[in-house]
Amino acid sequence: MNLTFPPILALLIFPGGLCLLLIGLLYEWADRKLVARFQNRIGPRWFQPLADFVKLLAKEEIIPDGVHAGLFLALPIVALAGALTAALYVPMFGFAPAASFRGDLVVALYLLSLMTLCTGLAGANTLDRFSLLGATRALTQLFSYEAPFLLALLGPAVAAGSWQIGTINAYTGQNIWLVVMQPIGFLVAIVGLMGKLELPPFDAPEAETEIVSGALTEYSGRGLAIFKIGRDVELVVGLSLVAAFYLGGLNNPLDFLLKTAVLLLLTAGLQSLFARLRIDQTVGMWWRVGAILALVQLLAILVGRGLGRLF
Amino acid sequence: MEALPKSNKFIVPIGPQHPALKEPGHFEFTVDGEVVVGATIRLGYVHRGIEKGTEDRNWIQNIYLLERICGICSHTHSTAYVEGVEKLAKVTIPPRAQVIRTLYLELERIHSHLLWLGVAAHEGGFDTLFMYSWRDRETVMDILEALSGNRVNYSVNSLGGVKFDVDQKQSDQIRRGMDYLEERSHYYMKVVTTDQTFLGRTRHVGLMTLEQAIHLDATGPTARASGLAKDVRVDAPYAAYPDFPVRIQLGDRCDLESRFVVRINELFETYRLIREMLDHLPTGELQTKVPRRIPEGEAMMRLEAPRGELFYYLKSNGSDKPERLKVRTPSLCNWASVINLAVGYNLADMPMILAGIDPCFSCNDRTVTVRRPGDSQTWSWDQLRRYGIEYYK
Repeated sequence: MNLTFPPILALLIFPGGLCLLLIGLLYEWADRKLVARFQNRIGPRWFQPLADFVKLLAKEEIIPDGVHAGLFLALPIVALAGALTAALYVPMFGFAPAASFRGDLVVALYLLSLMTLCTGLAGANTLDRFSLLGATRALTQLFSYEAPFLLALLGPAVAAGSWQIGTINAYTGQNIWLVVMQPIGFLVAIVGLMGKLELPPFDAPEAETEIVSGALTEYSGRGLAIFKIGRDVELVVGLSLVAAFYLGGLNNPLDFLLKTAVLLLLTAGLQSLFARLRIDQTVGMWWRVGAILALVQLLAILVGRGLGRLF
Repeated sequence: MEALPKSNKFIVPIGPQHPALKEPGHFEFTVDGEVVVGATIRLGYVHRGIEKGTEDRNWIQNIYLLERICGICSHTHSTAYVEGVEKLAKVTIPPRAQVIRTLYLELERIHSHLLWLGVAAHEGGFDTLFMYSWRDRETVMDILEALSGNRVNYSVNSLGGVKFDVDQKQSDQIRRGMDYLEERSHYYMKVVTTDQTFLGRTRHVGLMTLEQAIHLDATGPTARASGLAKDVRVDAPYAAYPDFPVRIQLGDRCDLESRFVVRINELFETYRLIREMLDHLPTGELQTKVPRRIPEGEAMMRLEAPRGELFYYLKSNGSDKPERLKVRTPSLCNWASVINLAVGYNLADMPMILAGIDPCFSCNDRTVTVRRPGDSQTWSWDQLRRYGIEYYK
């Protein structure tokens, strides 16, 4: 669907900005509710993430001793800004991306990585030992899933012959769903997204029974609220990206809702199925299995394209 | 207790307040990257002075005080105490009371092991198993509530017998509960022995060989998981265990997985015992009379609590109050194994290794002074009191 919004409106209200924040909270609720139901719990009420967010905003923000105060305050904002900016290049809600240029796929992916980077820096910025360990783990995890995730999203790009998210979205909409053509890539992408969002079983960087809250242990109040909502936004953007690439593109809001809901159901199921992986297991899994699978998939696509050109 | 690190490296403190700990304790893990190279432990945050407290209460009041040493194995504590007192008073309780007491002991073992299963899974980040096992644990909690009116401190024991009978309706409820739990336990057994991510966290983690288990004086399921055949119910049967023999459950893998398997196997054994006890419940009285003043003497009791061997020492001077009462709980025996096993594993494994012994903090907090050779100092009550105030300042 191709609608044009005045740029300022697109940036602040819809489809970016405020609307994205609210939909992020909604998806967080859906995720928590689904996991709770899978675990035979009741789960939170629909407004719980919003209530948490408002409560955190109202709370005192404590800046611990020994941190760089400017960095401490700026990091959550940068993380949220990164996630929100990435949304501009993705066909959110099934509308054409608000901004688009050749190669915006790479930019969007790096903007999405900003969150982990900021989390890592936030942890390294404090003197807290749990934060330091959490930061080390977050960055270690970043290095393990980033390459396979990138490769998994490169598959559709190569198939579409373009590095522009809008073009890829249009291509996948007109062809057979790529989840059928490139199942391995889809699997790596969805699991990579879970690693990116530090969802169980890849929650070693914030494993509460080991290192309390990981890199964000020292965060409270506004900083924590912004980090949390940043992650929610990233969840929506990530799901949209995977849905656009592998589930036949996003063409209208209903399309968006259905496809991301299916993906959310899948990730919630995966979250409740497994025990937490140790950080060495995570790294081992990604490099030994994930990266090779993604490479094989990419190779298959390249060979397929080459053969297609020959005949 | 400590295993000293070789050099001063990055120390990760866990506790006294930490999400991994449900009760306060303090651990310091010296890590090299993610690998633990040294561990120390400091207990004593919930020292309550119960042993001293018993000296000011009469024999009957003490049942209720001692039941509150542990929130999970409360009945084991009160049984150890009343059996000791009955030994001193040379009273034999009626057979029906004996079996009902044992029935509660076994029901308590179920709820303790299911609780542990959930906690240990949670420490490994497997919250689904945690939620499921705690949901199923409600079955046995409901049974205990239906039997005694309470979920944890049942206060079933009295000197000379038990207070509550088990009627036909209740025994049917117990049988139904056991059938359901047995089916669920088969499922849990399948999960802990086949789930690959979970096995990745438990297999070959926290290895304790048989020699180590003997050397470190491990007890209970922790020791049995290393193949050490040590179970007071088998070695020195008490209560109704002479009539209902227990088949000891041993593991041979010596790792965390083995501790899961042994505990779940013990659950199966417990279901069998409970059914057998209900089938052969003797008829008769529930109470005999025990004098208010207990004759002078000393008694020792050993019981197999869900966590291992529980030891009670009682001394009476012929009055209506005990002169000295000493408790040694199983968790205290197992700490040495944790501290020694921790070295060489990942920091991520620590919560599970800690939880692997099923620690109970508040029941093992007591003052211990080590008297060195040539040190003849005896602490007076006032000195101890002052020391306590200083310690907790």
